[in-house]
Amino acid sequence: MKTEEPLVSGPGLEMDTMFVNLGPQHPSTHGVLRLGLTLAGEVITKAFPDIGYLHRGTEKLMETRSYHQCVVLTDRWDYCSAMPNNLAFCLAAEKLMAVQAPPRAQALRVITCELNRIASHLIFLGTYGIDIGAFTPFLYAFREREMILDLYEALCGARLTYNYIRLGGVASDVDADWTAKCREFLEFFKPRLDEYDTLLSFNPIFLARTKGIGVIPKETAAAWGLSGPNLRGSGAAYDVRKSEPYCGYETYDFDVPLGETGSCWDRYFCRVQEMRQSVRIVEAALAALPGGDLMAKGIAKLPKPPAGEAYAHVEASRGDLGIFLVSDGGTAPYRLHVRAPCFINLAILQDILVGKKVADVIAVLGSFDIVLGEVDR
Amino acid sequence: MGIVLDKFPVVAKAVPGGQVLLTSTDYIVDLGRKYSVWPLTFGLACCAIEMMVAYAGRFDFDRFGVIPRPSPRQADLLLIAGTVTKKMAAPIVEIYHQMPEPRFVIAMGSCASCGGPYYDSYSVVKGVDRIVPVDVYVPGCPPRPEALIYGFMELQKKIMGMKLERGGGATAQAEKGSRDLTGEAA
Amino acid sequence: MKPDPVARLLAALPRAESAASPVKDYPTLRLAAPADILAAARILKDELGFAYLEMVTAVDWLGPVSLAGFVSSANPSPFTKKAPPPPVAPAAGAGIAYRPVLDMLWSFGNLQTGQKVFLRLEVPRDNAEVPSLTSLFAAADWQEREAFDLLGVRFSGHPNLTKILTPDFLKGHPLRKDYAHEKDAYDED
Repeated sequence: MKTEEPLVSGPGLEMDTMFVNLGPQHPSTHGVLRLGLTLAGEVITKAFPDIGYLHRGTEKLMETRSYHQCVVLTDRWDYCSAMPNNLAFCLAAEKLMAVQAPPRAQALRVITCELNRIASHLIFLGTYGIDIGAFTPFLYAFREREMILDLYEALCGARLTYNYIRLGGVASDVDADWTAKCREFLEFFKPRLDEYDTLLSFNPIFLARTKGIGVIPKETAAAWGLSGPNLRGSGAAYDVRKSEPYCGYETYDFDVPLGETGSCWDRYFCRVQEMRQSVRIVEAALAALPGGDLMAKGIAKLPKPPAGEAYAHVEASRGDLGIFLVSDGGTAPYRLHVRAPCFINLAILQDILVGKKVADVIAVLGSFDIVLGEVDR
Repeated sequence: MGIVLDKFPVVAKAVPGGQVLLTSTDYIVDLGRKYSVWPLTFGLACCAIEMMVAYAGRFDFDRFGVIPRPSPRQADLLLIAGTVTKKMAAPIVEIYHQMPEPRFVIAMGSCASCGGPYYDSYSVVKGVDRIVPVDVYVPGCPPRPEALIYGFMELQKKIMGMKLERGGGATAQAEKGSRDLTGEAA
Repeated sequence: MKPDPVARLLAALPRAESAASPVKDYPTLRLAAPADILAAARILKDELGFAYLEMVTAVDWLGPVSLAGFVSSANPSPFTKKAPPPPVAPAAGAGIAYRPVLDMLWSFGNLQTGQKVFLRLEVPRDNAEVPSLTSLFAAADWQEREAFDLLGVRFSGHPNLTKILTPDFLKGHPLRKDYAHEKDAYDED
C-alpha cells in the first residue's frame, strides 16, 4: 500500500499570515523601537519599523538656543557616545566662525572620542550578548566601561552626557595623574579584548546565531546609506577618519577593520577590532600630547557666526555623523540638520528582514547597534 | 492573595485586639514588598543606560531584591528612565495598567520629572506625572546610579508606610494625580 | 583619478550653476528645476561613482523661527507660582534675503575617493514638490519621509510617503519656520 504524500502547499492549504507586534516596550529593541512583522508561519513576509517614540524635536529646539546651549542638546542624541556628537556640532560651528581648536584641544578631542568609542562598543558587546542569550559578557563589558566613565568623571564631571567639547576647544585640561590613569586602563583593557574573544566572539552558540545571518552585500549596504561598522562589516572601506581627517586623525597610525560577508557576526567583530584600533590611537595621542591652550581665542559668550552654511561630519561610534548648519548671523542656528547614522542604518531593516525566520529578528536588529535617541532625535 | 489582603482588615477589626494583629501584619507584608520590588526592564532614553549600569556588577541593584522582569504582568515597579514623548505616552499608560497592584512608579531623570532640557518641545510630555502617578522623582540628567539607588530606598521607605486598611498604598492618590500635594498620601 | 562632478554636471545640465553661497569647503551646485535632480543623480550614480546618498534635507527661508512653535506655557508646579521668563527670540540676520522658498539639499558621496558633492534646489513653500530618488537610492526612503514629515516637502514617486517621526495627531510640519503648535491632550495650559 502506498502512503499518500502529505501536501505542504497547494490549493486549500494557504497559510494565514500573522501580525506580530514587537515593541515599543520590548527588552531587546534597545529602547522604544516598534517593529511590525507579518509572518507566514515562521518566515517574515513584511517588516515595518515604526520609529518616533523618542522624537524630542531637537532640531527645532536648537533654533532658539544659543550655540553654547546647543552643545548640551547634542549630548542626548547618541547618548552611548556623546563626545562625537559634541565634536560634530562644534566642528560645524567652528567652520562657520572660521576658528580652529588649538593642537592640545584637538589631541584631547581625539582621546576622548576614541575612549568613547570603546565605551560605546562595550555597551554593544554587553547588550548584544544579552540579546543572543549570553548574560555574562554584559557584566564584564560594563566593568571595563565603568573605568572609562571614571576617567570622564575626573575630566569633566559627567558620566554620560559630557558637554566637554566646546566651541573652539575643550572644557578642561588633563593632568599627569589623569594620563597615568588612562594608560593604566589601556594596559588593563588590552588583555580583556582577548578575553571577549574566548567569551563571546568565538563561542559556538554565538557563532551559530550570528554567522551567515542577516547578510548585507557591499552594494546593498552602500545603496541604503549604511555607515560605520555596519558598512565596514560588509567590506566597504569607508571611514571619515581616513577619507576626510579631522582633529589631526591623519597623524595617527591605525587600521580600518573590515568584515568579509556582511553578516551579523562580521558587524559584531568589526566593532571588537575597532576597540583595538581605538586603544592604539589613544596610546599614540597620549604619547604625543602637545602643550598649549585649550580654547581658541575670540570665542564670544554669545557667538554670532557670519551667515553661511557649513557641513561637518565625524566618524562617530555608530557611523558617519554629519551636521549641516545654517547661520543667518543670529545668535541661534537658523537651521540644523543631523545626518544621524542610526536613523539611516535602521532603514535597511525593512529590506533585510524579509524572508528571515522570526527567531533571527533580534540577532539582526541587535547587530546594527542602534540608539533610539539618535534615530528619532 | 489579593483577596485575603483586602478582606483581612475587615475581619481583623471585628475581633477584639485585632488592631495589634493588623499592624504586625502590615509590617510583615510591607517588609516582603519592600525587599522584592521587581521593576520592568523598560528604558526610554539616556537614563536607561545609567539604569543598566545600576543592574551591572559595580552597583549591583540585585542586593535590594530588585530583579528586572521583561513583562509588565510580573512587575511591581515602572522605572520611567528617559524622555516621555507624546507618541510614547499612550503605550506607557497601557503598560502601567497592565501591571498588578500595588504598583509603583519612579520618574528617573529631569525629562521624566518635568521635561528637562526639552521643556518647550512640541513632542515631549512635560513630566510623566501628567499621565501616570509617580511615587519618587530622581533628579539629574541623567542621575547617577547612586541617585537611582537612593531614590529606590526612598520608595522602600514609602512602602514601609503602606497600610492594609488604606487599600492601594503608595499609589492611593492615583485618581487625583500625584501633583495634588494636598492628598493624604503625600 | 578623481572625477570632477561639478564640471560633468554643468556640462549635462546647462541651466545648473555653481551655487553663489556654497556649503563651506564642498562643491555645491544649484539646480534650476525639480526635474533636473533625477538626471543629476543618475549621472552621479552611474557615471561618476557617487553611489552613496548621504543626506536629503531642506531649509525653510521664510524668516526667523516663529515662537508659536514652542510650548511656552509655564510648567505648573505647586511650589513656584512665578512664570518663567519668555524665551528669547532669535535675532534676525543682516544681509539675508528671507523669501518663501524651501531650499532643498542633497548630498552624494563617493565611497572610493571620499569626495562629496552637494546639490541645491529652491522650490516654493506652498505645495513644495520634488521627484523622489527612491528609484535610484534605497537610502532616500526614510530621509525623504523625514523631510516630508518635518518640512512638508512632497516627493513625487515615493512609494510610502507617510509620517515617520512625529505622532499621528500632530498637525503641521514642525521644522517650518511658521509652524504654530496646536495644543494637544498632553499639553497643560
